[in-house]
Amino acid sequence: MPGDHRRIRGPEESQPPQLYAAGEGEEPAPRDPARLRPVYARAGLLSQAKGSAYLEAGGTKVLCAVSGPRPAEGGERGGGPAGAGGEAPAALRGRLLCDFRRAPFSGRRRRAPPGGGEERELALALQEALEPAVRLGRYPRAQLEVSALLLEDGGSALAAALTAAALALADAGVEMYDLVVGCGLSRAPAPAPAWLLDPTLLEEERASAGLTVALMPVLNQVAGVLGSGEGGPTESWAEAVRLGLEGCQRLYPVLQQCLVRAARRRGAAAPL
Amino acid sequence: AGTRTVEPLEYYRRFLKENCRPDGRELGEFRTTTVNVGSIGTADGSALVKLGNTTVICGIKAEFGAPPTDAPDKGYVVPNVDLSPLCSSRFRSGPPGEEAQVASQFIADVIENSQIIQKEDLCISSGKLAWVLYCDLICLNHDGNILDACTFALLAALKNVQLPEVTINEETALAEVNLKKKSCLNIRTHPVATSFAVFDDTLLIVDPTEEEEHLATGTLTVVMDEEGRLCCLHKPGGSGLTGAKLQDCMSRAVTRHKEVKKLMDEVFKSMKPK
Repeated sequence: MPGDHRRIRGPEESQPPQLYAAGEGEEPAPRDPARLRPVYARAGLLSQAKGSAYLEAGGTKVLCAVSGPRPAEGGERGGGPAGAGGEAPAALRGRLLCDFRRAPFSGRRRRAPPGGGEERELALALQEALEPAVRLGRYPRAQLEVSALLLEDGGSALAAALTAAALALADAGVEMYDLVVGCGLSRAPAPAPAWLLDPTLLEEERASAGLTVALMPVLNQVAGVLGSGEGGPTESWAEAVRLGLEGCQRLYPVLQQCLVRAARRRGAAAPL
Repeated sequence: AGTRTVEPLEYYRRFLKENCRPDGRELGEFRTTTVNVGSIGTADGSALVKLGNTTVICGIKAEFGAPPTDAPDKGYVVPNVDLSPLCSSRFRSGPPGEEAQVASQFIADVIENSQIIQKEDLCISSGKLAWVLYCDLICLNHDGNILDACTFALLAALKNVQLPEVTINEETALAEVNLKKKSCLNIRTHPVATSFAVFDDTLLIVDPTEEEEHLATGTLTVVMDEEGRLCCLHKPGGSGLTGAKLQDCMSRAVTRHKEVKKLMDEVFKSMKPK
């Protein structure tokens, strides 16, 4: 990259070999629109992070680590009326700093390290979806740092990152009202526009619209919705959100089991 | 436990006097090393290496580029080591810090000096088209001894790389890629790094953890290849070492090379051909 003297220099530009490859693209196979790919989740695997989680759904692999709480950077904020349950006043509440990064080798084309706008948008989406679930009032003047790393993108990356981040926060022992479960959807293009739950990379690339919903399963409250594209009439979007929320509920037992196993492992290792 | 947080150096000295370390290892013993190859489907080659708790993943993406003007027969190998807040809370997000830049430069030196691959092998058409191998090493968990883990991950990932066949169409002068026919890279040497930490200017311990790296008065990394030849020596300041101690380090590095080579051969033999 021109001017980036902190990294080893490569050529000015490079093209992926797929541009020159002959042959047709693959078509996504027809499937049940409400099928969820089997999920593998494991919490508590990084020794240097306070809490961590790894989630694998189909080809999507996401690793998330949480550190903190540590004293917040930034100016002092004034007091205000105290919240219920002995929490700090609103202006002194803790902050959640989220960071979403794609590994350079995670997609079809290599993405050079400084991510750009898309990663910041997704990091903000992560923060907005996780904030309702975390009891930030219990961490006055502190900040919790959540870093999500996408190792391989196989579709529904943001949804997987949301779920992994919530698991990592729970693993770190951060006080939460509920877990946050994410689910991705995409709308196949005409001639058969239908909303597909948990799309693969191929389906996402060919989609006319995409949507990610985040749900707090026990409280049954929506934590975040992010979508864009040509989705058709409003009823179609409403139906998609409903489909997504059902998917989140179905995913919840797997995550509960994962946290129980992690807690057992921690308990077994503790007496040292 | 109290001494460990308040006076870590005294705590360590007590163990070192008995020739062992708090985690039960001897002074010349490495942590358990595991390697997993080919797990990232989107990368052309990948490897995950765990040295105790230190975890590094290397993903290689191959792209086309124009060869450098001063070496029209050579391709590029571009390493990049990424140390992010994910692996340890002492790193900040943003451009690479000092430790990451040092590690990237070290890996670039190892590639250059040991000639793992001849850059001429990467050239497709002299002066016009060559392969560029972007080797991205991401540290997932930093518990000391990053350099050894990165070198091993890079080597395993390079062995795992499959490049599609490319031919230059004579009429259109454009490249034609056949994604179905893939071949491995020609790996000429297998450099293996062994890192040491120097305690109190005299004692040498192998494979330091993060805590040990903080308490050390100096570090040393030796890179050997299979014929016992020295490829690279990295000693960034710190306490001085006598010639005899350096020789000890090099013999330990030769033994380590055998251990690592054996592990890698086992892993690659057990992989089913695609």
